[in-house]
Amino acid sequence: MMVPLFILILGPVLAGLALLALPLRWGKVLAPISQIPLAVLAGQAFLAVRRDGPQLQVIGGWPSSVGIALRAELLSLDLVMLNILLFACLLLYNTGKPYVNRTFLFLFLSFQGLLNGIFLSSDLFNIFVLVEVATVVISLLILFKPNSESIYDGSIYLLTNIVAMTFFLFGLGLLYKTTGAVNFDSLKRVIASFEDSERLILPYAFLMTAVSLKAALMPLFSWLPKAHGTPGAPTVVSAVLSGLYVKGGVYLFFRLQDIFEPVLDTRSLFLVLSLMTAVIGFVLAIAQKDIKLILAYHTVSQIGLIMTGLNMDHDYARYGALYHIINHAIFKATLFLTAGLVIERYKTRQIGQIRGVWREMPAVALASLLAILGITGAPLFNGSMSKAWIMVGADQAWLGIALYVINLGTVISFVKYSSMLWGKAPEKAKRPFWGGPGHRLPALVCLFLGTLCLLGGVLSEPMTRLLFGVALPVDWSQYGRKTGVFLLLLIAGTAIYHLGLKHWRYLQQARDLDLSFHDICLTMAAFFAALVIVLKIWY
Amino acid sequence: MSINALLDWISGEHISLVLFFVGLYGLTARRNMLKSILSVGIMQAAAILYFLSADLAEDSVPPVGESVAGQAMADPLPQAMMITDIVIGIGVTAIALTLMIHLYHRYGTTNWQKARDKRHE
Repeated sequence: MMVPLFILILGPVLAGLALLALPLRWGKVLAPISQIPLAVLAGQAFLAVRRDGPQLQVIGGWPSSVGIALRAELLSLDLVMLNILLFACLLLYNTGKPYVNRTFLFLFLSFQGLLNGIFLSSDLFNIFVLVEVATVVISLLILFKPNSESIYDGSIYLLTNIVAMTFFLFGLGLLYKTTGAVNFDSLKRVIASFEDSERLILPYAFLMTAVSLKAALMPLFSWLPKAHGTPGAPTVVSAVLSGLYVKGGVYLFFRLQDIFEPVLDTRSLFLVLSLMTAVIGFVLAIAQKDIKLILAYHTVSQIGLIMTGLNMDHDYARYGALYHIINHAIFKATLFLTAGLVIERYKTRQIGQIRGVWREMPAVALASLLAILGITGAPLFNGSMSKAWIMVGADQAWLGIALYVINLGTVISFVKYSSMLWGKAPEKAKRPFWGGPGHRLPALVCLFLGTLCLLGGVLSEPMTRLLFGVALPVDWSQYGRKTGVFLLLLIAGTAIYHLGLKHWRYLQQARDLDLSFHDICLTMAAFFAALVIVLKIWY
Repeated sequence: MSINALLDWISGEHISLVLFFVGLYGLTARRNMLKSILSVGIMQAAAILYFLSADLAEDSVPPVGESVAGQAMADPLPQAMMITDIVIGIGVTAIALTLMIHLYHRYGTTNWQKARDKRHE
């Protein structure tokens, strides 16, 4: 018996609604507890899918082409389980924070339900609705502690994303006219046997412009760091936006490419764009001085890496990229959470003013370090595994070199980021391991997530077999060489940062690169036009 | 182009495409936040018009109530989708306008450029 999937979507929303009626004291305890039944349900659905294959459930008993259909398959349930795991951690982390009130819990839990819905929907229109509602919820969450910067950032976020979704809706209209379908299965069937590929160009370009903005692909990423790194956004919101929500765009991209690939094969185009995204992401990350912004820009870079893997014509690279989605969610969430604790303690976000986190708050520094090792691809950590699999797909030499350059960029950004861990603490008195009162639970959550980075690496083989149902072998005999390469990158990265980049004048200018709302709309229009022209030439 | 050809060209689908890009022009060319929100509204209206007019058979009746024999019903799916979209559009516009009022209170302007300069101060 398959569990009803809609509970995974409606459950968190209803839980949030119920918490509105209860005293806040209870809500703070009940919100993390509400994740347990969800996890059980998702786990059951996952086991059922592993046993019987993908399942389709239509709500209300309508035919699947008309009704709201939910589709459970391994990838979507992986993401749902990841979502529940992260939210459980974030809600625990949040229990002691002063800004948490009942409205916050309601919005936050609703957001979880919407995310689950995006992953489980098998229908483009439902996805449109869910994403649009999620956009509204997120802009409220970003503005939860309003200050003068976050109002501008929130407005930019809301309007650019609405414009993108209008593109999506219009593309959907064109697609419905051409194919007569909006759900994945029918679309895939119709498009696979579609003769007149030219008629698909316009809908494809509209949809892809929207999805590229959602996934923060070059040149449509400039809304992302503003939204994810804005000072007003609570730490947990930054963590979930960077860790998971942006993957919603990547997931949509993956689904749409899967549908359109037989007719419009744009992988080489998006491969180049993804590589450029990855490079520009780390360049801008290195240029930042604000620790939250370093992490936010670095998300852009990692999205580029994930998209690179997805656009390679190789199964290993594809699964590597999907595994990297999960890994990135875990280490980026850890990094944002630890950064939040550090900012709370030091009362500043400037990397230059934070020193000695190791002495001041050892547990937090340890969790940070584990996540940094994960994201830079240190041997045995989860990042190294997914990056190695993406590397397998690099069939040409230049592609391999590009991937090494991207990893070097990651190492350099985190050499800069980790400079806050070392050095002398501002106060002489040594703090307890957990970093003081009220920090025990948040630090414990960070450490737990940090440990997952290591486990995800050591157990990567059984994990991928469990999560994706494919066997991706890890060549342990190559490990000596990999360790060498990592150490080399680490030395090179440290040297490049401290000897050259740190004082490079152009880097300061890169920091001021900030597109206004009009520039973003203009790039969107240009992106759309360029996509149409390229496809017209190709097909 | 003769006037008749022009009249033939004017259909819901074509007008909606034109409207969509009029909205996009408004987004790129106007500095006032209220006009940006209006432009988004125009684009959303364009999408709705497109859904309702594409593939619409002549003489078809709205898919509401009991059908009359001999008359074709319009495809109900796009209409159902657009009702949903209109509702979402209202919500989204309301939030955008609320944000604009907040922005005005904070920065004393609804001009994107000036707000941006104030943000960086």
